[in-house]
Formats: sequence, structure tokens, C-alpha cells
Amino acid sequence: MKASRKWLFQRVSALIIAPLIVWFLISLISLSAGDYNSVVNFFSNPLFLFLTIILLITGFFHAKIGFSEIFEDYIQDEKIKNVANLLTLLLSIIIPLITIILLLYQF
Amino acid sequence: MNDSKNPLSPHLQIYRWQISSLISITHRITGILNFLGLIFISAWISSAGISENLFECFSVFLKSFIGRFILIGFTWSISYHLLSGIRHLFWDLGYGYEIKTANFSGILVILSSLILTIVLWMIGRGLI
Repeated sequence: MKASRKWLFQRVSALIIAPLIVWFLISLISLSAGDYNSVVNFFSNPLFLFLTIILLITGFFHAKIGFSEIFEDYIQDEKIKNVANLLTLLLSIIIPLITIILLLYQF
Repeated sequence: MNDSKNPLSPHLQIYRWQISSLISITHRITGILNFLGLIFISAWISSAGISENLFECFSVFLKSFIGRFILIGFTWSISYHLLSGIRHLFWDLGYGYEIKTANFSGILVILSSLILTIVLWMIGRGLI
């Protein structure tokens, strides 16, 4: 990815995440004190389900770009850097993908 | 060329810590912590999608002392990264480069991240 595009995507995703993560954290704090049914109720709301999916996708995307910036600064060896980037890319795709599939399947 | 013996910069042993560098490295560290938190949230959501029993395991953990400590730590980590990120956006727009302003906004980020953590918990627990 071009550096200028990376720069822009990092900021655009940050602006999307900012309100979503505040909302989700409050929900998580509230739900962590509740039971299974309260979580089922939460994700049964189509809007909450949709917002959670958007948060997962943009969150992992933002993290992927952030990690590549950190690797760029601290890893000198090009090969190790490529492996590190590939690993974070795979994690950032597989984890939200599985979570979203389970969410849509169950709720 | 063997450059493995060359000194690395910055020389952390003799490096004088400043607010700017402290804020900067903490932004990165919280970024990594938030990634771990995001993985934990994904596991938590997935467990609810798999079975009630598995979800209960997470619930018991989250309600334990360690679980609550981690959740409060995660709330702070997100709060800090969010506020420090807003500081970065102001820089992107061309504001706040003066040393005095940057030091002030840095301290502001540290203090308000603690306040935001408390506020989020109070809202989450229905105290506000």
C-alpha cells in the first residue's frame, strides 16, 4: 500500500472507530456484569449487530496499518518484516471473519 | 558489511525522557494492547455465538478480580489511544506544534484518559 494512502486510511478508520469504540466499551462494561441473555438481547438488535461488525472490521484494519508502521521502525531485516506483516494481515482477516460468521449464524 | 556492532539510536540508557517521547511510545504500546483487547472481545463474542456454557466461562473470568482489572486496563488503554489519537489529528490539521502547547496537550491526554476511564465505567454501570 502507498504510504500516503496508508496515512489517509489510518485516519479515516480512526474517525469511524472513535464513536463506535466508546459505545461498545460502555456496552461491554455493562454486559460484563450481566448474564448470557443480556448479551443475546444486545446482539439481537440489528443496529447493534451491524455496528459491532463495522467496529470489528475497521478495528482490525486500523491495527494492521498501525502494526506495519511499528514494524517499519523497529525491524531492520526485510524478510522478518515481511513475515511479521503477513502474520498480522492473516490475524486481522481471520479473527474478525470467524467472529462475524459466528455472530450472523447465532443472532 | 558487518554493522551489528554499530550503536542503536536512541541511546535509551542516556536518553532524557520528555513528555513528547513518553506520550509517543505510550500511544504505540496502547495500540498493541488494544489489538490484544480486540482479539479478546472477538473471543468473547464468538463464545456467545458458540454455546452458553463457553460464554459462562468468559463471564466468570470477567467478573473475577483479574478479569475486572484487565477490563479496566483495557478501558484506559482505549481511552488513552483515542485521546492521543485526537492530539495527532490536531497536528495533522497544523495545530499545536509549539513546544509549550505540545507539552500541555500531552499532560492533558494523560489526565483526561484517566477521567474518561472513570466516566465510561460509571456510565457502563449505570451510575451516571
